[in-house]
Amino acid sequence: MRRRSIWKLVATMLALALVVAACGDDTGGETTSPVGDTTTIAGDTTTTAGDTDTTEGGTTTTGAQPVDVCEATVGFMGPITGEVAFIGEVQLNWFNYTLDTWNEETGYDFQMVEADNQFDTAQSATLAQQFLDNEAVLAAVGPAGSDQVDAAGAVYEAGDPNFTFISPSSTRAGITAQYTGMFRTVPTDDDQGPTTADFLVAQGATTVFMVDDQSSYSTGLADTTQENLEAADVTVIRESVSQDVTDFSALVGTIPDDANFVYLPWQVAANGTIFANQMAEQGKEAVIFGSDGMDSDDFLVAGSYIAAFAPDIAFVEGSESILEGYLEQYENTNTFGPPVYAAARVIFEAIERVCQTGQTPDRASVQAEVRNTDQADSILGSPISFTEDGDLAEGRFFIFQIQEDGTKTLVE
Amino acid sequence: MEFFLQQTVNGLTLGSVYALVALGYSMVYGVLKFLNFAHGEVYMFGAFAGYGVLTVLGGPSALMVPVWLALALMFVGAVAVSSAIGVALERFAYRPLRKATRLAPLISAIGASFFLQAAALLLFTANSRSFDAPTLIPIQTGMPLGPINVWAIRILVIVTALVLMILLTWWVRSSRVGKAVRAVSFDTEAAAMMGVDVDRVIVVTFLIGSALAGVGGVMVGLVFGRIFHLMGFIAGLKAFTAAVVGGIGSIPGAMLGGLLIGFAESYTTAYISSTFQNLIVFGLLIIFLLLRPSGILGRPELVKV
Repeated sequence: MRRRSIWKLVATMLALALVVAACGDDTGGETTSPVGDTTTIAGDTTTTAGDTDTTEGGTTTTGAQPVDVCEATVGFMGPITGEVAFIGEVQLNWFNYTLDTWNEETGYDFQMVEADNQFDTAQSATLAQQFLDNEAVLAAVGPAGSDQVDAAGAVYEAGDPNFTFISPSSTRAGITAQYTGMFRTVPTDDDQGPTTADFLVAQGATTVFMVDDQSSYSTGLADTTQENLEAADVTVIRESVSQDVTDFSALVGTIPDDANFVYLPWQVAANGTIFANQMAEQGKEAVIFGSDGMDSDDFLVAGSYIAAFAPDIAFVEGSESILEGYLEQYENTNTFGPPVYAAARVIFEAIERVCQTGQTPDRASVQAEVRNTDQADSILGSPISFTEDGDLAEGRFFIFQIQEDGTKTLVE
Repeated sequence: MEFFLQQTVNGLTLGSVYALVALGYSMVYGVLKFLNFAHGEVYMFGAFAGYGVLTVLGGPSALMVPVWLALALMFVGAVAVSSAIGVALERFAYRPLRKATRLAPLISAIGASFFLQAAALLLFTANSRSFDAPTLIPIQTGMPLGPINVWAIRILVIVTALVLMILLTWWVRSSRVGKAVRAVSFDTEAAAMMGVDVDRVIVVTFLIGSALAGVGGVMVGLVFGRIFHLMGFIAGLKAFTAAVVGGIGSIPGAMLGGLLIGFAESYTTAYISSTFQNLIVFGLLIIFLLLRPSGILGRPELVKV
């Protein structure tokens, strides 16, 4: 009798847990395709604009009639789960949105294969091999991070250098030169570091307290920025802390009183807010400057600066409607999203150009057309064409200051 | 002096949270002699439950009830959810394996840990959430301690942890169920022969350990701000380290270990470098495992030869 009542209590508590959890979920993003039904088999997902029946090894699609016979499958690789799933979710949403709008706009029936690398290098290598082995996949968007790009890139380079992959967020300088098929739609740390350093020097920085988050992205960017700051005779105090840490109290305590800026090249923007709160708690008055990874609604500390790939696309002429369309289907976005749109469009348009020549697209022809990309304008508010290595020909960073009401003002 | 004092307060806050989570590891180990590696996830669910209650009450900037009541309800919500999950884990993941080899429940615990992480990802998505505690209680509010000001939330965390630890110590030493827990911990078979309901004692152990983890989760959310679905992993490892350093199976040892790890992290960052924080903490774990596996307050296990 007593045991039964204990189990009733447990069941009630678990029900309460679910209710409370659901109530607390106020900022989550959608992860499923808004248009197509998505079925996952062995980790891969195939999505189309119409209804999809997926069977092992093949996909049958019904839906909008194509205006031309131009068929293609494009891969998406990103950290959909794992420690930086907030990046992968938004990137996947943007990829799905780009695919849906592209198919709707052109009448084609492009499809996608989704791969979750969990921000893990070993997974990235395995999934890259899966993409290569799947002859239908002509090119891919991703991976997100430079370490994962290295892992996947080595597999692509060894297996088929004609396979094109465009990273929407890898910024490590020099990485594109290592892989024939690599391109990216974001500027490099060679652009961001000097831009940041020049701005801080212009703002009168004398001592900068710099903390990297121990990721490849963060340490690389911190190194470049530190080098440029020290070249301008600015004193840099360098510290390092893991992305998983949420208590920075002890670290904040070590910020010297004469430090007038704190530079945080981080990927977890919410950690920046915690850092700022703990600075306020300990009476530290230095101004925070965050890298592009901090450009998120999770970091809205008034007076702070952030660097970004592009001006807020809500204010980029021609991009507002894209953003509105996206936000009608998905709840949230961040810096990591729009470059995915740009990358996917580069691939889709390259495939279309191959089709227009009357050829059936293959990996080599798609790569040749990606290399010929010459978009006068893009969602990012700047032209897209690539250098010989695959970097953006006209990459630049923008700097914003966060205002009291949470809006961001472009300052450089 | 100001610097040292500030770092001491920082270490005490962090150590208090580790101590609460470490107690769960230690209690379960004391009774069942196995490591509940899903304990960090129980702590994570507690944090989300507290956040859920805060959201239901209108969020930090539009609270429908007084702040003290909101805080109390957040702790109640976290305790309810965490203890329910802890009891469910014991019933479905561990009890069926109680007579299996020692490795089986350990593997089950790791599986349960991944299951709970994935469940949290599905329920809450990968986005981190913020308690926005400075809106609830402004940072300037608190108590002056010499040249520094200690934020009221930190005082709340430290005092709550201390009170809970004292209550737990009293309960284990003086209450009937607490004595039963000690009896089962000492010799399960003998306790059963003396009429102790072993199953019930184990359920109570999981319930209390998980409830403390839930409180720890809310504390972390309040004082450090960010909660996310993977937050239990590292915190769980640190708390496990605390339990081993203090003496796994020993309740005062878990408290002492938690505080030591908190201070070690704080002073390492302050006087050496933040880069070496985890190195020092896990270095301590290795040193204790090699030189004194029973920890500071643990008793060496006697083996009949």
